[in-house]
Amino acid sequence: MWEIVRESIPQLLSAGFKYTIPLAIISFAIGLVLALLSALTRLSQKSGAFLILKAIVRFYVWLFRSTPLLVQLFIVFFGLPYLKIKGILPHGVRMHPFTAGIITFSLNTGAYASETIRASISAVPVGQWEAASAIGMTRLQTIWRVILPQAFRIALPPLSNSFISLVKDTSLAASITIMEMFEVSQQIAAENYQPLLMYSLVAVIYALFTSVLSYLQGWLEHYFNHEVNAKKVNS
Amino acid sequence: MKLTNINKSFGDNHVLQDISLDFPEHKTTVMVGPSGSGKSTILRSLNLLGMPDSGHYDFDDFHLDFSQKITNKQKLAVRRSTGMVFQDYNLFPNHTVLGNVIEGPTQVLKQPREQAIATAKDLLNKVGLSGYEKHYPNQLSGGQAQRVAIARALAMHPKYILLDEPTSALDPELEQEVLRVLLQLAHEKQSMVVVTHNMIFAQRVANKIIFVEHGQILYDGDPKEFFSPDNPNERIRKFIASMTMKNL
Repeated sequence: MWEIVRESIPQLLSAGFKYTIPLAIISFAIGLVLALLSALTRLSQKSGAFLILKAIVRFYVWLFRSTPLLVQLFIVFFGLPYLKIKGILPHGVRMHPFTAGIITFSLNTGAYASETIRASISAVPVGQWEAASAIGMTRLQTIWRVILPQAFRIALPPLSNSFISLVKDTSLAASITIMEMFEVSQQIAAENYQPLLMYSLVAVIYALFTSVLSYLQGWLEHYFNHEVNAKKVNS
Repeated sequence: MKLTNINKSFGDNHVLQDISLDFPEHKTTVMVGPSGSGKSTILRSLNLLGMPDSGHYDFDDFHLDFSQKITNKQKLAVRRSTGMVFQDYNLFPNHTVLGNVIEGPTQVLKQPREQAIATAKDLLNKVGLSGYEKHYPNQLSGGQAQRVAIARALAMHPKYILLDEPTSALDPELEQEVLRVLLQLAHEKQSMVVVTHNMIFAQRVANKIIFVEHGQILYDGDPKEFFSPDNPNERIRKFIASMTMKNL
């Protein structure tokens, strides 16, 4: 048994560092940008044509939160090649499995995280907007310099949760042939007929990855809360 | 700085009823009146944080008609000339004391950072907070936080400073720290408009006093006459007596 473990760990870790972690990090980074843009669009008080953009964003968030991630992966990877439009897309939309994974995980993360960021921005007291306006800051300066740093601190724990979930959800990428950790463990199990051992082993590696991330989350929270945690030196 | 025929309603509540006021330069104008009378709404109209439904606002080269759309450019220009100090301080918790004071000059006025820091240190010294530059707002007492807020407003070199009940959230001891700073500013002829419930402070600092009740101006003039026991307006006499008792 130990020999199988010793031989499998390098293959699993290699798949983890080559696919699982990059898939999670790249998707989360793109997802955060999408989430921020979506949240700011939904919170905007602009009217007119902007309302159409708001409706599109609301639809996007609704769509990705109300359908299973696995189904989304299948639509993007297996479904889009059949989206054939004469003259524009004669062969449908075909992409590399890794690209399909990045697109799906980014859109899914963006939809969930947009709600987290929207709630965090709303949780910043209205007095902060007023104080920034009162010294003549533009809306963009107010958001960038005053509101987002405070909202980020509020959003950090739920966003970290989303990232940890995403690392585990990347195992679904096995279903679209990405050679990430779970896919590799399945292939090894098929060769050595030790499914219990292989799936337990990959579970331990996922647990290790997420434990490191949980530790990093704690460190980040402590770092970004330093001004809030600063002790009163006088009163 | 002058407001003419200002009206403002929140739903069915007509909070400002055709009021006209002027706020002289280099003087301290104090607005008093019961809670909910419309004082803060007037103050917020002066730096366009709150927008009246109708009326005119003349300030420097700006002649604004509130029944027309006020552009963002106009709003920013007026706000840069009118520093605002809030009851709850509203300091930026993610910036140090120094960061709070230089935020406007560096980001809005585009002053070089070194120049903004030098000015900020002078202002912090002026409000008695030299040495607190690296503290965060949550490390300050209410009185200290409010003095940082005053320094932040002064750092923009505004023509007027608007103070919305600057000591209401403070206990009497901390209140005195803030009032001392405001008295000093009044002595230096800084143009100020102060909303307060502190009658003793109002009597001491006001060059002009405005009494607001139910969205109407019941008094607009000389503080001596206002605080005189012979003031012919019984409502004002009663208000001063009740507020002075509270302050004592």
